[in-house]
Amino acid sequence: MQLYVNPADEVPIFRQLVRQITEAIAGRRLAPGEKLPSHRELAVQLVIAPMTVKRVYDELEELGYLETQRGRGTFVREVLPEPCLADQNEQAMATARLLLSQAYLGGMKFADVLKLLKQADREVMEGRPPKEES
Amino acid sequence: MSTVIEFESVYRAYWENRPVLSGVSFRVSQGEVVGLLGRNGAGKTTLMRLAMGLLFPQAGSVRVFGLSPTEEPLAVKKRVGYVAEDQALPPEARVEEIIRFHRFLFPEWDMELERQLLERFSIDMNAKIRTLSKGEARRVALLCAVCHRPELLILDEPAGGLDPSVRREFLETVIQLLNREGTAILFSSHQMNDVERIASRVVLLDGGRVRLDEDMESLREGFCVAMVPCGAAPDVRTLERMPGCLRVRRSFDDWHAVFRRPPEVVSAELRQALGEDGIRCIRVPLEDLFVEMLGEKR
Repeated sequence: MQLYVNPADEVPIFRQLVRQITEAIAGRRLAPGEKLPSHRELAVQLVIAPMTVKRVYDELEELGYLETQRGRGTFVREVLPEPCLADQNEQAMATARLLLSQAYLGGMKFADVLKLLKQADREVMEGRPPKEES
Repeated sequence: MSTVIEFESVYRAYWENRPVLSGVSFRVSQGEVVGLLGRNGAGKTTLMRLAMGLLFPQAGSVRVFGLSPTEEPLAVKKRVGYVAEDQALPPEARVEEIIRFHRFLFPEWDMELERQLLERFSIDMNAKIRTLSKGEARRVALLCAVCHRPELLILDEPAGGLDPSVRREFLETVIQLLNREGTAILFSSHQMNDVERIASRVVLLDGGRVRLDEDMESLREGFCVAMVPCGAAPDVRTLERMPGCLRVRRSFDDWHAVFRRPPEVVSAELRQALGEDGIRCIRVPLEDLFVEMLGEKR
C-alpha cells in the first residue's frame, strides 16, 4: 500500500490518510491481518507529525478496521465490522440519490455517472495516483 | 500535560507607544508542536527572543518550565534548543570548533545523535563557517540546538531562505526528535505546507495580539471560508453579524468571510439569510486561511 499526503489540499492531512487507508482495506489492497508500519515509521516516511498518524490509527481502530496488539503493532482486523444490511442499504440508497440528483443538475446523463462510478471503483481497488503537491 | 512555555499578557515595544506585542497570552504544553504564524513584523521573533530571555517583557510575564528566562537564564537554556532566524556563527571558526564548544556547554550532549546528524547532513568538520552555504550553516546550527536533547525547541523560521531539499531534511530531523522524546516545539514559518505537516496547534499573531489559537484539526475541519457575491449581501455587516464570523474582506466581486464553524452549517445559514444565489462555503488549507484572515481588506 502506497500512501500520499498533500498538505495544500482542501482535505486536511488527517482525513486524507483515513480515506486512503479505508479505501485500501475496502479494495483488499490491505488484507485482513496485514501489519501496518508503526505510527512513528509512517510519520518519518510521510514527513508529517507522529501525533497525526497516531490519531489516524486511533480513528480507524474506533471504526473497527484496525486493531493494535500491545507490543506487536497495528494490524488490519481479521474480522471487519459486520455491515447491518438494512441500515447500510438505506444509507447507500440515500447517497445514490444525492449523487444522481447532483449529476443530473450538472447536466450529466446516467451513462456519465456509470463511467464515474467505474473510475471510482478502479481507484478504490487499485489505489489512487499521487496528487501533485503545489 | 505540563506547561512548557507560558506567555501571560506580554507587552513589548521597541519604540514608545508602538508595541509589537500588546497583551499576548498563550501556552505551549509538553509534546506539542506549535506553529507561530503572522505577517512580517507581527512579533513572532520578539516572542521567541522573550522565551529565550534575550529580551525582557515590559509588562506581563514569560515563564519557561515555570521559570523566568531573564532571571534564571542558565536553568532555562540548559533545557532549550534555539535556532535564530539570523543565526550568526563566528565566520572564522571551524565547524568542529563550534560543535566542540557546544559539547563543552552541555554536559548531557548526545554523541550518538551528533554522529547520526553529521552523517545525515554530510558536513565537513574542517570547513570554516564563512565557507558554508546558508543551508549548511543552518544545519550546523540545528545540530548544535538539538544534541543536548532539549525538552523545548524554538525554531525561528527554520525554512527561511532554504531550498526545498534542505527544508525537507530539517522537517525529517524534527520528526525524528518528536518520535524519540516528544520534545515540545515552538516554530515560526511562512511555509504553510510545512506547518500543515508538523504543527499540532497554530497561533496566529496580528496587531500585537493572538488572533487565533486553535488545534490544527479544528482549524482544518471546523473552519470555513464563505464566498458570497457582493450583490447578494450589499451590506458587509450582514455577514459580520452572522454567528462565528471572524472576518470579511472583499475579493473582486465577492465577499470572502472566515467562519469558525463547519461549511455545512454556514452554508445552510447563509442560504436561509441571503437566498440561494452563488454562495459557496469550503474548507481551506492554511495558506488560504492565512490570506483570508490577514490579507488586505481592499
